[in-house]
Amino acid sequence: MRMGRNPVARAVQAFFRDYLVLVMITVLVTITAIVQPKFLTERNLTNIMRQFGPLMMVSLGMTFVIIGNFIDLSVAGIINLVAVVTISLIGPWGQVPALLTGLAIGAGCGALNAAAILTSGALTQAEALFLTFGMSTVFSALALLYSGGMTMHFWDIKTSKSMFETIGAGTVGPFSVSFVIFLVVLLLLWIFQTKTTEGRAISLTGGNKTAARLSGIRILRSIFVIYVVCGLMTGVGAIVLFSRITTAAPVIGAGYETNAILAVVVGGTTLKGGKGSVLRTVMGVLLVVLMSNCLDLLGVSTYLQVVTKGAILILAIWLDNRKQV
Amino acid sequence: MAASGSEVILSIRDVSKSFPGVKALDGVSIDVRRGTVHGIVGENGAGKSTLMKIMSGVYQKDSGTIEFDGARVEHTTPYQSMQSGLAIIYQELNLVNTMSVGENVFLGRFKEMKGMRGTHAKARELLDSIGCKVPTTRLVSELSVSEKQMVEIVKALSFSSKLIIMDEPSSSLTGEEMAELVKIIRQLKEKGISIIYISHKLDEIFQFCDIVSVMRDGRVVDTKAVAEFTRNELISKMVGRTIENEYPARPHSVGEVVMEVRSIKTHKLHDISFKLHKGEILGLVGLVGAGRTEIVRAIYGADKARGHKVFLGGKIATIRNPKHAKDFGIGLIPEDRKLQGLVLPFSVESNISMGSIRKFSRLGFIRRSIEKGIGARQVQALSIKTPSTRVAVNNLSGGNQQKVIVGRWLEISPQIFIMDEPTRGIDVGAKYEIYLLMKRIVEAGASIILISSELPEVLNMSNRVLTIFEGRITGEFEPEKTPVDEIMKAALGFEGGAA
Amino acid sequence: MTGNSIGARMTGNGIGARVYSILMRQKALGAVIVMMVIMLFSGTHFYTAYNLLDMLNSTSILLILSFGVTLTIIAGGCDLSIGGILVVSGILSIKLQDLMPMEFAIALAVLFGAVVGFVNGFLSVHQKTEPFIITLGMGLLLTGVAQQLTDAHPVPAKNPAFMMIGNGDFHGVPNLVIITAVCFALAYWLMRYTQFGRNLYAIGGDYEVARYSGIPVIRTKWIAFVISGAGAGLAGMLLSSKLNTGSAIYGDLTALVVNCGVVVGGTSFAGGIGGIPQSALGLLVFGLLDNVMNMLEIRSYYQVLLKGAVIVAIIWLDCFAQKRKREFV
Repeated sequence: MRMGRNPVARAVQAFFRDYLVLVMITVLVTITAIVQPKFLTERNLTNIMRQFGPLMMVSLGMTFVIIGNFIDLSVAGIINLVAVVTISLIGPWGQVPALLTGLAIGAGCGALNAAAILTSGALTQAEALFLTFGMSTVFSALALLYSGGMTMHFWDIKTSKSMFETIGAGTVGPFSVSFVIFLVVLLLLWIFQTKTTEGRAISLTGGNKTAARLSGIRILRSIFVIYVVCGLMTGVGAIVLFSRITTAAPVIGAGYETNAILAVVVGGTTLKGGKGSVLRTVMGVLLVVLMSNCLDLLGVSTYLQVVTKGAILILAIWLDNRKQV
Repeated sequence: MAASGSEVILSIRDVSKSFPGVKALDGVSIDVRRGTVHGIVGENGAGKSTLMKIMSGVYQKDSGTIEFDGARVEHTTPYQSMQSGLAIIYQELNLVNTMSVGENVFLGRFKEMKGMRGTHAKARELLDSIGCKVPTTRLVSELSVSEKQMVEIVKALSFSSKLIIMDEPSSSLTGEEMAELVKIIRQLKEKGISIIYISHKLDEIFQFCDIVSVMRDGRVVDTKAVAEFTRNELISKMVGRTIENEYPARPHSVGEVVMEVRSIKTHKLHDISFKLHKGEILGLVGLVGAGRTEIVRAIYGADKARGHKVFLGGKIATIRNPKHAKDFGIGLIPEDRKLQGLVLPFSVESNISMGSIRKFSRLGFIRRSIEKGIGARQVQALSIKTPSTRVAVNNLSGGNQQKVIVGRWLEISPQIFIMDEPTRGIDVGAKYEIYLLMKRIVEAGASIILISSELPEVLNMSNRVLTIFEGRITGEFEPEKTPVDEIMKAALGFEGGAA
Repeated sequence: MTGNSIGARMTGNGIGARVYSILMRQKALGAVIVMMVIMLFSGTHFYTAYNLLDMLNSTSILLILSFGVTLTIIAGGCDLSIGGILVVSGILSIKLQDLMPMEFAIALAVLFGAVVGFVNGFLSVHQKTEPFIITLGMGLLLTGVAQQLTDAHPVPAKNPAFMMIGNGDFHGVPNLVIITAVCFALAYWLMRYTQFGRNLYAIGGDYEVARYSGIPVIRTKWIAFVISGAGAGLAGMLLSSKLNTGSAIYGDLTALVVNCGVVVGGTSFAGGIGGIPQSALGLLVFGLLDNVMNMLEIRSYYQVLLKGAVIVAIIWLDCFAQKRKREFV
C-alpha cells in the first residue's frame, strides 16, 4: 500500500490497517442499530452474550497455537470427543469427575497433536495443518465409536446435572454464567500470555524459532504447551457448548476450526507468529458473533453469512501479508 | 603480457558497486583474453564474487563499463548473460536437486529441445564431449559435487558459451576429481573458450592458469602472466595492507585454560581439538566453508555432533542443545543476525531480555520493572542508538542490531562468547565500537572465540589464531609474532594440510 | 566423495536401509500391495471385474480432482478450495440448464472453477500469501455460496442427457472411468511432455534457480492454480451428473482428503517431486481402502478411524523423511 506523504494520512492509514476489525464492528453495529432497532434490546444483547461461550473458548486456545506460528485443525474433533464422553459420564461418575475427565481429554488430545508434530520433525504450519487435520478425523471417529452415533440429551441423564445446566443457562446478576466463566478464563489466559515466562517463550518461539532456540529457549516445550492449551480450551468450549444446547451429538464440533481461525486472524493476530494477543482474539470473536447477529437481524441468510466469513478471512490474511512485506 | 596474444573477449573498466555501508568494488578493471585461463585471487571480501555477480547479471553495477565479445553489456538477468555466451558456475551450484541431469542442463528450454528425448540426447552428447559418464536421467541430488560441476559446465556449453566463470570450483573436490576438472578446462581452452578461474588454491593457479589478477579491498591490485609471479609475491599482494589504527590495542593478559574441546567429528569436520584460555580472544581463520561455523555450532549444541567432549574448567560438560550451553556459560552470536539472532518485529527490549528471562522472573511470572531495567541498562552500556527500547529492533542499523545481541548475552555474563562474523555488514565506526566491546569483555575475564572472514580483523583482535582448512586445524599461531603470509598459507592448506 | 548418493549417505548402506528408503518413496505402492494381499485371503468378491470397475468409478471424482491439485503441489503450493469449487460448479451446472443449453451450462461450470483458480493464483503467487490458508478460506467461502444457491435443498437434475454423463457407460465401461482415464492421460502428458509441466517441477524444486534460468515463474505457477480450479469445476459437474443432484454437502472433507491423497502418493509438499501417476496411486489407496473396508464389512465408524489413522501415519512419515534430510533449525 502506498503511504500518503501527509503524516496525518499515514497515521489514518495505519490505524485502519491495525484496527480494521474495530472499524468494521463499529460500522456494522451502527448500521444495524439504525436499520433494526431490535438490535439494542436487552433480549438481543443477552443473546449476543450467550453466543460468546464455545467459540470464544476455542478461539482463545487457538490464539496460542497461532502466536507460536503453528495451526490446529483438530479442534472440531476434540469438541466432538469431549462432548460425547463428558455427557455420558455425568450419570455414572458424577458431575465433577465427568467435567474433569472432559478437560483431561481435551488436554490429552492436544498433547497427542504435539506428539505427532514433534516426533515427525514437522516445523512448519503447512505440515501441522495436515497432521492436525488427520488427528481431527481420528478424534471424530473415536467420538462416533464411543457414542455409537447417538446423540445424548440432558433428559437422558437421571442424576443431577445442575452444574452443567448452570453453565449453560444460569445467570449471575445481569450476566450469564458462561460470560463470567469467559471473563475468568480470559484473565487467566491473558496473565499466562503476557506475564509468565512460558507465555513469553511462546511468543519468541513464534517470532523466530531459530533465534529463540539459539538464545536458550526450549522451543520444543513451547510447541507442546501451545497444543495442550488449545486442546484444554477446546475442551472447555465443548463443555460450555453441550451445556448450552443440552445435547451432545458426535458431530457438534463441525465448523469450529475455521471459525476459530477466522476469529483469531481477523482479531489481528498474525499467522506468521510472534505478535498477537488473546485480547485481540476477543475482538475477533466479537466481530464474528456480532456479524452473525446483525446479519440475522437484517434478514441475511445463514449461507451468505458463511460467504461473508470466507471473504473476510481471505481479506484479513491478504492485508496481514501485505503489512509484513 | 598475454600468454596467447589473442584479442580481448571481456573488458571491465572502472566498475564500482556499493551496498549499504560497504563499498564492494572500487574501480575494477580487468581484460580477459580469448582462449586463456584467467585466474582471480583474493581473500574473503576482496570483491571477487560481487564482480562475478555483476558480470552475470545478478547484481547491477553502479558505474563503469563492461564489454563482452565486442559489445557493451548491461545484463539484467542471469538468463540474458547465459544467452549472450557468458556463463558462471557458482560455488553454491545452481541446479534443481529434484530434477534429472538432462533436464537441468536444458532448464526452461524443454520445447527447444523437442521434449524429453531431445533433452537427454543432447545432454548425453555434451557430457560425452567432456568425458563425463553420468547418466542423464540421474537426479542431481544423487550426484557428487564433482559431477554436479560437470553438469554446470555442460549447461554452459549448451549455450555455446564463449566465457565461463568458475567460482571456487575445487573447494569440495578430491584429487582425482580435480584432475578431471583440469582436463576439461584444458579441453575447453582448446575449443577457444575463455575461462575465469576464481580460487584460493594457489597451486591450481600456478598449474593451469595463464594470467592471474589479484584483488584486494574491491580493487585489482595487479594482473600479470602467472609465470611472472612467485607464490610469495602473490600472497603478499593478496593480504598486504598498511594497518591503520583501526583496531584497539590487543588485550594481553591471558590466563589458564577455561575450555578444552576434544575430537569434534561431523560430516564436515575431522577431529577438531583445541583449548581456550581465560581472557583470550581465539580467532578461527579459514576460507568460507572450511568449517569454522560448524565447529562453534557443535560446541554450542546447535547441531547434531556425536562423540566429542567439552571440558569447562577441567570438568566435562554435556552440551546437547543451546540451552545447556547457555547454562554452562557459553553464548553464541550467530552468523546471520537477522535470520538467526533477532526476532525482528519485537522490541529492542524483548530482544535484549530474551536471553535472561529467568533473571527477571519469579515463580514463572515476569517482572516488567526488572525487564525494563535490563533493556535500559544494556542500551546505555553499549550506546545502542535507538529512539526507545520499545521500538522494533528491525528499525535499527546493523551495528546497533548486533549490539542488541551482544547486550542479550552480557546480561548473563557468560564465561565464553562465540562471535560468528560479528562485524559483517557494519560500517567502520560501529565496527570499532564492537572491537572495544570485545576488549572490555576479555578484560573482565571472559574469553572469546572469534570467527571472521576479514583477515585483518581477526588477526588484529586475536591473541591466538587457529587456521582451519577443509575441516581440519592446520595451524596455531600468535598473530603478534607471526608474519601474515605464513598464517595465510596455513589457511590455504599449505602447512601440513592436504591441499 | 565419489558419486556417493545422498540417499545412501543418509541412511547407511546396508540392505535394511535400502529397503527402508524404497518403502519411504513408495508408501502408496506399499499400502496398495498390503491391501491387495489381504484381500486375497478375504474370501470376498473383491477380485471381480464388477467390483474393481465399481471401485474405479467411485474414486473417479477424487482422481480428477487430484490431477489439478498435483500441479499446484508440485509447484510448491497446494489447493484446499477444490471442495468448495466442486459443490458450487456442480450446482451451477444444473441450475444454469434452466437458462441455457446443457453444453453451455457445463462449460460455464468449468469456467467458474477456472476463475476461482485465477483468484487463488493471484493471491498465492502474485501476492505471495500462504496458499494453504488462502485456498482454505476460499473453500469456506464457496461452501457458503453453495448453500446459498441451494438453500440447503439439493437441486435435482432434470435433464436425462445430463444424468447419462455421469451414469452411462460405453460398452460396459462406465463413462466416468473413461473420462478419468482421459483426464489422467492429459494431465500426464502435460506434466511430463510439455515445457509448462517441466517448468512447474523446476519452480517447485528450486524457485530461485528456476527464475534465474529464465522461466516465467509467476505466470507458470499462477496457471497451475487456474488448471486446478478448472479441474475441480469439471469434477463438480460430473459429480452432480452422477448423483443427479447438486448439493452443498460434499465440500468439507474433500479438499483435505484429496491433498493428503496426493501426498500419500509421493508428491511432497516441499514441491518438485511426484507426478500424476503417483497422485493417482495415492488416491487409489483411499479408494481401495474404502472398498476393502466395505468388503470386509468393517463398521463405518471404524472405517473413519482407520482412514484418519492412515492419513496421520502417511503425513507423519512424509515429515519424518524430510526431517532426516534437514539439519536442525
